[in-house]
Amino acid sequence: MDDGENVIELVDVRKTFRDFWLRPTVNAVDGLTLSVSRGEVFGLLGPNGSGKSTTIKMILGLLSPSAGKVSLFGLPPRSIEARRKLGYLPELSYLHPFLTARETLTYYAGLCGLRRSVAKERAEELLEMVGLSDVASRTVGGFSKGMSRRVALAASLIGRPELLVMDEPTSGLDPISTKEVKTLIKALSAGGMTILMTSHLLADAEDVCDRVTILNHGKAVAGGRVSELGTSLEEFFLAKVGDPGDFKLAGFLARGDAR
Amino acid sequence: MGFRSSTSIVKATALEILSEPLTLLVALAALALCVFAPTFHYHQFGEATRMARDAGLSAAFTGGLVLAVFGTIRAFRREMESGTLEMALSHPISRCEFFVAKTLGAFLSCLVFEAIVFGTTLVMVEGAAVGGSLAERTGDIARIWGPCVAAGVSVMLVPLMLGAFLNRFLRVRFVLSALATAAALACAAGAYAVTRDSATLVPYFPAILPTIAFMLLFVSASAAFAVRFSPNAAASCAGVLFAATLPFAGNYYLAESLSHGASVPPTTVLLSVAAALPAIAAFFILGVKWTTEKT
Repeated sequence: MDDGENVIELVDVRKTFRDFWLRPTVNAVDGLTLSVSRGEVFGLLGPNGSGKSTTIKMILGLLSPSAGKVSLFGLPPRSIEARRKLGYLPELSYLHPFLTARETLTYYAGLCGLRRSVAKERAEELLEMVGLSDVASRTVGGFSKGMSRRVALAASLIGRPELLVMDEPTSGLDPISTKEVKTLIKALSAGGMTILMTSHLLADAEDVCDRVTILNHGKAVAGGRVSELGTSLEEFFLAKVGDPGDFKLAGFLARGDAR
Repeated sequence: MGFRSSTSIVKATALEILSEPLTLLVALAALALCVFAPTFHYHQFGEATRMARDAGLSAAFTGGLVLAVFGTIRAFRREMESGTLEMALSHPISRCEFFVAKTLGAFLSCLVFEAIVFGTTLVMVEGAAVGGSLAERTGDIARIWGPCVAAGVSVMLVPLMLGAFLNRFLRVRFVLSALATAAALACAAGAYAVTRDSATLVPYFPAILPTIAFMLLFVSASAAFAVRFSPNAAASCAGVLFAATLPFAGNYYLAESLSHGASVPPTTVLLSVAAALPAIAAFFILGVKWTTEKT
């Protein structure tokens, strides 16, 4: 694959969730078309319920689109070959509470098909990188949110992926850890890794993303290179999406109904 | 199917189930049944050996079934509800591979449980063979059964103490280390008993096989139910399956004849397969197909 070729490609993708009787309940994604090039840091932004997580799950092959085409490295997302090049950091740090930090990383290394010796070596390397070497033998069920996040981050990198999908990567982290994660994203990108991230924190996205797409009600309402927006990402976002929730709350408070 | 990824899932699932307090409680209850049931009887009618064997096989059967159903359902539901399933499926493994490997992991943890109970059963049978009937004749129950009960109680207490010690000083997981120690002790004690009286005890090995086959059936069915239904509904489905299959399985009669060196009658095999069909169908239709097509 040459540089500039699309690592992720979505063409007119739709996802409709249905109830038990197959009646449509929600159009989570509605005709979304986007592409992410190799080496790019791409931000998928949007308010809650805009379809970001559904889009990510379709890219990961966890959900099938109702219509349209999703491809990963030119392959279907459920292809084992495509997944070999993929790392995923979910919004909540999904970890097995009964495994230690070291066992967690070795487990995910095993899922990547790494040999035991390589898995152990890489687990130690990543534990050192995320600053958890001292607590590597403790079960992750007793970890704080920030520590769990670090373990999940290390787990997403254990297969040395070419594409890293990060759902709210700075969620639940303190300012220092947030800065470290942003530095890490920049370092990974400089090393040639393609990164797709979602974030509610527009300042974070602005700091690290090369290009963004803003979703609202399952549709791409705007997008472009961050350096070419001509305004701050937050102003751009509010201009495209608005903030009806806050306006309603302001009106509610102004009426003096809040007691 | 990737061998390394499957092995990882099998190992993690077995670790998960063997780290649960529920597993330790079931194992302790089964051991208590195994050790005390044949010992404290007013009359044994000269059948102390048989009583020890039946108590052990009953403990292996009932405890194994509880573990097979609840351990498997809990492992699968936790995987789905906590989101670790999504994390795992973003790796280069197929859903079918994940489902089958996780089921095997649950079965492996049940095998560890069976090793603990069966090893202890062999010790108790050997103890009963040596002194059970003599104890009844002479009335000196404490002296003759004493060493046997002491061995059985050791299989229960030593692991707990060692587990507590390892947890306190080395931060090793209590339940896991206690169960690993119990398995090691029971296997060693069982092996010692077999070397003392192989003619009596070796024929007991086939007697545990129907229980293990039955457990594989329930692990598979529970895995399939857990993937599709809520935990309570899945446990209810497993209960219905239990009621439907128990009369056909004929576990105790089979164990009785097998421990006397008989072979399994073909009609029993056919009936057992027929009884297993709902579980096999559930495994493939609800489990494998569902995890393949939908999240």
